[in-house]
Amino acid sequence: MTGHFLKGLGLALLLVFPFVVTSPYYVHLVVVIAIFSILALGLDVVFGYTGEVSLGHSALFGVGAYTAGVLAFQLGIGFFWSIPCGIVVAAGFGALLALPALRVTGPYLAMVTLAFGTIIEILINEMTFLTNGPLGISLTKKVVYDWRPLGDTLPFLKMALPRMREMQFYYVTAIALVLTLLVISRLLASRYGRAFEALRDSPIASDCMGVSVYKHKVLAFVVSAGFAGLAGVLFAYSEQYIAPNNFSFEQSITFLLAVTMGGRKSRVGPILGSAIVVYLPNLLSDIDQFRVVAAVIAVIALMVGGIRMWREPDSRARTAIPVVLCLGFFVFSLFLQKITDYKLTVYGMMILFVVYYLPDGIFGFLRATIGRIRPAWVRQTVDISGQGDASSAWAATAPRVETGRPLLEIRDVVMQFGGLRALDTVSIAVMPRSVHGLIGPNGSGKSTTMNVLTGIYTPTSGQVLFEGVSIAGHTSAEIAGAGIARTFQNVQLFGELTCLENIMVGLHHTYAGTMADVAVATPRARREEAHATQRAASLLRFVGLEAMANEEARNLPYGRQRLLEIARALALDPKLLLLDEPAAGLTAPDIVELMAIIRKVRDQGITMVLIEHHMDVVMGVCDTVTVLDFGQKIAEGKPAEVQADERVIAAYLGTAHADAA
Amino acid sequence: MDFLILAQLVVSGIAVGMIYGVIAFGYQLTFATSKTLNFGQGEALMLSSLVGLTVVQFTGYWIMLPIVLAFGMVQGAVVERLGVRQAIKTKSESGWIMATIALGIIFKNLAENIWGRDALKFPSPLPEAPIGLMGVNILPMEIVIVLGALAMMLAVETFNRRSIFGKAVVATANDREAAGLMGINTSLVITFSYALSSMTAAFAGVLIAPVTLTGASMGGALGLKAFAVAIIGGLSSGMGVIVGGLILGITETLTGFYLSTGYKDVPGLVLLLLVLSFKPSGLFGRSAIKKV
Amino acid sequence: MSLQRRMLGAFAATLLSTTMLASSAIAADPIKIGLTGPFTGGSASMGVSMRDGVKLAVAEINKAGGVLGRPILLVERDDEAKNEVGVQIAQELINKEQVVATMGFINTGVALASQRFYEENEIPVINNVATGTLITQQFLPPVSEKNYIFRMSANDIIQSGMIVEEATTRRGFKAPAILADSTNYGQLGQADLLKALAAKGVKAVTTEKFNIGDTDMTSQLLRAKSANADVILTYGIGPELAQIANGMAKLGWKVPIIGSWTLSMSTFIDNAGANGDGAVMPQTFIQSPSTPKRKAFIDAYQAAYKVDRIPSPISAAQGYDGVYVLAAAITQAKSTEGPKIQAALENLSGKVEGVVTTYDHPFTASDHESITSNIPVFGLVKNGRVVAARDEDISGANAVRLKTKN
Repeated sequence: MTGHFLKGLGLALLLVFPFVVTSPYYVHLVVVIAIFSILALGLDVVFGYTGEVSLGHSALFGVGAYTAGVLAFQLGIGFFWSIPCGIVVAAGFGALLALPALRVTGPYLAMVTLAFGTIIEILINEMTFLTNGPLGISLTKKVVYDWRPLGDTLPFLKMALPRMREMQFYYVTAIALVLTLLVISRLLASRYGRAFEALRDSPIASDCMGVSVYKHKVLAFVVSAGFAGLAGVLFAYSEQYIAPNNFSFEQSITFLLAVTMGGRKSRVGPILGSAIVVYLPNLLSDIDQFRVVAAVIAVIALMVGGIRMWREPDSRARTAIPVVLCLGFFVFSLFLQKITDYKLTVYGMMILFVVYYLPDGIFGFLRATIGRIRPAWVRQTVDISGQGDASSAWAATAPRVETGRPLLEIRDVVMQFGGLRALDTVSIAVMPRSVHGLIGPNGSGKSTTMNVLTGIYTPTSGQVLFEGVSIAGHTSAEIAGAGIARTFQNVQLFGELTCLENIMVGLHHTYAGTMADVAVATPRARREEAHATQRAASLLRFVGLEAMANEEARNLPYGRQRLLEIARALALDPKLLLLDEPAAGLTAPDIVELMAIIRKVRDQGITMVLIEHHMDVVMGVCDTVTVLDFGQKIAEGKPAEVQADERVIAAYLGTAHADAA
Repeated sequence: MDFLILAQLVVSGIAVGMIYGVIAFGYQLTFATSKTLNFGQGEALMLSSLVGLTVVQFTGYWIMLPIVLAFGMVQGAVVERLGVRQAIKTKSESGWIMATIALGIIFKNLAENIWGRDALKFPSPLPEAPIGLMGVNILPMEIVIVLGALAMMLAVETFNRRSIFGKAVVATANDREAAGLMGINTSLVITFSYALSSMTAAFAGVLIAPVTLTGASMGGALGLKAFAVAIIGGLSSGMGVIVGGLILGITETLTGFYLSTGYKDVPGLVLLLLVLSFKPSGLFGRSAIKKV
Repeated sequence: MSLQRRMLGAFAATLLSTTMLASSAIAADPIKIGLTGPFTGGSASMGVSMRDGVKLAVAEINKAGGVLGRPILLVERDDEAKNEVGVQIAQELINKEQVVATMGFINTGVALASQRFYEENEIPVINNVATGTLITQQFLPPVSEKNYIFRMSANDIIQSGMIVEEATTRRGFKAPAILADSTNYGQLGQADLLKALAAKGVKAVTTEKFNIGDTDMTSQLLRAKSANADVILTYGIGPELAQIANGMAKLGWKVPIIGSWTLSMSTFIDNAGANGDGAVMPQTFIQSPSTPKRKAFIDAYQAAYKVDRIPSPISAAQGYDGVYVLAAAITQAKSTEGPKIQAALENLSGKVEGVVTTYDHPFTASDHESITSNIPVFGLVKNGRVVAARDEDISGANAVRLKTKN
């Protein structure tokens, strides 16, 4: 409710602002802030959600601006057509930028974006025939629509309209900002948003959930670039003059600072951050104003720090440092005579301060502070009570294999890493509806087998057939799509997503709606989301985690995390479920629960491959057991047979090589 | 004549490329131990060479060298302490990127206020008249640059292989956690690697200063180019940065001459994108096996 | 430092006005004038010299009682040579600080981006340094009713014409190579050079580009050399120009350098050292006490900012003169309203004696350039200083060159 009220208030403020503040200076300032906000909100998709640092957004911004500029300059095409063109062209460049991102992350990706940005800047500068080169392009803000005839119809409008016409660019920008907020909020609340966060938290698990990391990373860049393009078009018409040096590397840093300082993964944060970075140059040119702001910051720091020291006496020393720094900053501002000379230093110190003490930005800080006092105000929860039942948990189709044929067949697979042969001509056949155990001492090749099966490794030689079709060499996402789900030895949950959302990432495949559906919130998109929520709730109930639906996965106890991982894997509606040491680290009661769950899953007709060291689990649930040692299959058969096999005992207890687990 | 031009271009490219290489080597040092690197490396180079400019007036070029190298080490340690340590602790990728950029901005601004905003002349320790070698002109200082850069890399490599502290660096580079468990103070090693890294940048700075110019804005472009070199050559290969640097340096001068001077920087960047697309670990880098 | 003096000045001004004219008793509040340029970054030496020249003139005027009995108050803003910052500053100066006029612009791009706002708000701009030809033509009638943009510097057409005249006619070079930087300063200048060459029927053997921050000019110079260039015409700024001179020395190839006024920047002279000797460039002002006014200006500058050599003498001199021209216009308009000042600037009746020249009707409605091609002289780099290339240019009757009327 408060949320709606605040949104309404924000809209009303945007509407009346030009009537309250008449100075064109402030109106222009707000327009620029709105434009930067649009870009920063888009950047947040890449930076906040997929967790990649993009140093190329100013180039995308430039592509949008230059699309508008070139259309107007070369073809005489005006503002309204340049908006869709700018968005599409920039989105195209975004895709281009994301393509080399196929295999890189982290500093490498940052480097790709940086190189991309530099190339764009050079191209804009050099392609004089198109862009007018370093001379830049001048545009005119034409009257978009003459509203005057409307004014005669209503006396009230007659008063308001002239001002609104004068300010129509302001309103166009405001509408663009509101639409951006709407679309981005919907997108990030949808399966796309969850996919972006999933690939940040665990790329491997995303791929194994059928959420292709590559595809979604490209998608995130494209969306982000589209908004950068929109911002660029608006910027070109707001400034009415663009030149290559508007879109330099420093500008990208400014955008990143806006998102970081305002607060990542929020809507308010990037807007707040944009307001700060746009106003910063003005602030840093006026020493008196700067001192006042420094004083205000010092007072806030004292207050917040004081409260925190009082409430949490343990962390007094840690809290004191930023407070002292803020006070020092104020004292520094008093001593400073010529601010212009040192403004970059101040700018740099602000970035450092944010990185150190406000890693979640100002808005994140506010949210956390409020959350400490009134948790209910800031927690967003999905109520799933009353949702979910046993029947809607399952939707797997029956495996398509002839009777008597294995569901999964590994034939003579060799996996070579340099000089190490991790799998040495291993052949295993997994029959449908069975639980197939895979055991062996550490380093025997169990996890390697798992990784070969799920496409993380491509086998050096040999075949892997699933339902009679070869899957070796396919990507993890494709294999997941074919119906193989897995859990991980070292839990690979999407830590910052809630339990419910983790499972909904697994349900990604149940959606048929497109991104456009999500953006406009079509009935189909809503229906699919409701259906997925219902199924996720059912799966949570199945593993007994319904009470923790809104808890972030990283906050769960270890045993619960393993169960959640199983539920997430089941969301994929797999025909084959691979469990990699599900009982590791579990307490005895947890293990009993786990075994019950495994049996229930089997009752649904789902085939399982189980890697496990706990022999009671293996003996208790497996139909067949294969034993690996040093990459070779040394035994296979019923659990009891295997247990009695001499070579197995030797491998585990060690006759020649003592390496018991 | 044509051959002479080509030779002249290649010679100039080699001198420029070796500088890129030695700065890129600095990136490698920190990336190996901490998987982070200093986005303000160019500024480290700039700051050290300006310090060198001040010191050189009192001591002369050769005595200035160790002083500047020491300064570089201190500066690198400061960057690590202020910008990187916290981010490593919180495993925040954007944290160290933003922090090292911020420190770069601060260093640059301080330099502007101390040494002014103009490019300054750095006195050359060697004659500034070119030497003619079979029709190709080379500055004596350019020869020193190439030899010095090689010597620097060799010295650091030898140190890493031979000394006990160097072995700790290598151990940390191979597996930080395991090295930590073996009683190696890994955070000290990381600080040290930053110090070494800035020291190589400082050395590069005073090497090129007599040929280029010194000034607050000298670092930015160099840091960027070296970054490209580090990625092209691979962040794990010493050979890679030398070859990468030479490739970039020579492509630049050749493109400038045979294509257009306006597009001089483009082939290097395109090469960078290609390498990242097809062999992200670099031309000479080793790719690690994914472990799940 | 300034508060006391400002109060003193205000007090003096009030006293003066109340005793003289009761009618203008409101006078004491200062006249705000905007001052914008790059005070940080690569072109800062020009920005700072311009700023210091302006401040020098303002201090003198305020000391002498101000304008219309009111002191001038400068509102300084650093545009960082960035277009968007320039735009922001324009908005701030106009709408928040409500300046009467603005002195500014080193960088042509910033000028082109920001001037629109001054024009729309009818606030005169005195362009002290930027040379892009387009600058004063952006709002020439009929585009706009009145043009509010005035210039104190020698524009690119004048400079390129002089450069080409010097290279081809006076010194007889046949095969010029053009080296220009990739900013709009260099590229606009290059276009003007090519036009001026075409008018003389000479073809440039090659036109090369370099980026700000480039340190290796081998490719560019080898291209010029293999095209058999006999002179190099430059449009760039100090550090890169120095690299050109040094690069030529390295290649053992020596041809004369003739280029735009930026060859007088200290960053060129210092960094090129002996390699830069002999470079010539058009100068509106040379730091040489060839008239009493110039001597006074140089002495005052040296005393106020404790330097021997002015970092960018032209920027300082043009900025200094700009203030006096503007002050004369305000005095003549007897008003601080933009349109009235603009009208007064276009029809300035008294002579204003400046350091560059004596301004006698410097502007008309159709001509907003205070400098004509006869005013600048050629400067020559010699032993680390810029001297007149030909002594006769700055001595005797030639010392003060007046704008030609047409």
